[in-house]
Amino acid sequence: MNNIYTVADNIITSLGFTSKENFDNLKLGKSGIKQTVDPKITQIPMYCSRVESERLNAEFKKISNPDNYTRLEKMMILSISDSLQQTTIDPSKQDTLFVFSSVKGNIDLIEDENHPFDKERINLWAISDQVCKFFNSSVKPVFISNACISGVTAIIVGTEYLKKGKYKNVIVCGGDVISEFTPSGFQSFKAVSDHPCKPFDANRTGITLGEGVGTIIFSSDKEIVQEANPVIFRGGANTNDANHISGPSRTGDGLYYAIRNTLTEAGKTNTEIDYISGHGTATPYNDEMESKAIKWAELDHVPVNSLKSYWGHTLGAAGIIECIAGIHSIKENCLIETAGYSEHGVSEPINVIKEFNETEVKNFLKTASGFGGSNAAAYFSELNAD
Amino acid sequence: MTNIISKYCIIKPHEVIVDGKTEFIDQEKNKFGAFMKSVYKHYEVKYPKYFKMDNLCKVAFIASEIVLKGNEHIKEIDPVKVGVILQNSHSSLDTDTKYNDTIKDKSNYFPSPAVFVYTLPNVMIGEICIRNKFQGENTCFIAKEFDIDFITDHVNELLDSNKLEACITGWADYIDGEYSAILFLVEKNKENKKDNISFKPEFINRLIK
Repeated sequence: MNNIYTVADNIITSLGFTSKENFDNLKLGKSGIKQTVDPKITQIPMYCSRVESERLNAEFKKISNPDNYTRLEKMMILSISDSLQQTTIDPSKQDTLFVFSSVKGNIDLIEDENHPFDKERINLWAISDQVCKFFNSSVKPVFISNACISGVTAIIVGTEYLKKGKYKNVIVCGGDVISEFTPSGFQSFKAVSDHPCKPFDANRTGITLGEGVGTIIFSSDKEIVQEANPVIFRGGANTNDANHISGPSRTGDGLYYAIRNTLTEAGKTNTEIDYISGHGTATPYNDEMESKAIKWAELDHVPVNSLKSYWGHTLGAAGIIECIAGIHSIKENCLIETAGYSEHGVSEPINVIKEFNETEVKNFLKTASGFGGSNAAAYFSELNAD
Repeated sequence: MTNIISKYCIIKPHEVIVDGKTEFIDQEKNKFGAFMKSVYKHYEVKYPKYFKMDNLCKVAFIASEIVLKGNEHIKEIDPVKVGVILQNSHSSLDTDTKYNDTIKDKSNYFPSPAVFVYTLPNVMIGEICIRNKFQGENTCFIAKEFDIDFITDHVNELLDSNKLEACITGWADYIDGEYSAILFLVEKNKENKKDNISFKPEFINRLIK
């Protein structure tokens, strides 16, 4: 089978506009979560992680007219542009596929009746149309909206095309923006934390929302790989709890099956994983369920973190930017601490990373879970891991 | 070996077509809610949770009940080997708009978790999984129009690689009173029966035209 190489990546969040800027901030333990009282977003003071609008428009002006694109489209176009600059890939060629993930897309348009865009622009497929047009791609894109696992699903689906040899390169890009829509909904669920979220902690009370975009370019073409020991994608799987549309399984069965199927796909066992990039939304139920699935998979000794306490829960971006952080953990041989975690608060004794440490990282597992009962996992490792 | 369509169902305004035959017609041309309720009764679906669902989930769910009727053997398969892969155009936009109406006016602000949970298109997949305890691959794809080439390619790959034994797949969309569902129960061809229809674009295009 072809190796699936990661050849470039980008993250745009409150912590920066490149993967390096973001990862450097994570290493320093710097969180992008701040309190906001912006009435366009929330009726009560709320913690969240937002992309700086002035910087977004200033950066975007360097490549195109910001008035022609929505906030999410600008972030996606910038993120893909930065990723492409790290490679020799020509995105307009027929051998390159775009795969997108977003939960709510241009949802900010629904709240603004005077927006300058076409009525159709609210549709998710309109985003991929705009972005593909910007990069002169005529290949029909793929768009995934799978709640909070969207980003991991996009990686799994996109890389499948490289395995089959149908395309040479796949650009996976996912993201979501914060407007009033999502915060008000999670507030109505009483699921928003009144402090920056505390994944896996005894005092966790809910999520902190975030916005952002992530891009990973995968390729099966060895010629374009610049590193001697690149990080490769090994496999992944999606499953469903079949339990409840808005509450996770009590046993962790769905996520456990996703991990098990991912290891089978990757041709790996649970003994080789050096790090788990958890979902860790910091809701009482999610983190508890996740600890059970990790224990069930006999991975409770493996260092695990959640990066939601730096970036917030960025929905369609989360799976992608967390995988990028994992890729950089392998490249820089270090593990990021779980900000906000101090007192163990899940029933299983999982090994939550308490402080930044430098250690050898060759393999990591990403997990994700979401509304609709969905779960996903993905396995990455460095080429010379075995 | 090719994968076969065990049963398929098309729901369009006032009409339900199953395996190519019109099985139900609403002569009164009722609106969506009343039409779907009569379909629910016609097929003797018994699932009170149906009445809590939003319209997108309702049309997808009823179509799934119809294709699974008479195919009880699907429930004997390992649940992790049964998938639900759907595509749609308008995501959950219809419910998004309804939800937005509850937060638009600050003097009449009443966001409801029961509405908010349906502002995700993949919840229709969750509903089908919960009803039938299906736990395999589940993904909601978004495209302007039903992309048969894409869906057959993706689902056949999941079956051929043995990730799945069976899959509920197809299209379901609801926006502003307009609706459609085209659902297939696809299985691996074990018996090689003559009248089997392969899950391939050339056959599907003929079925749904």
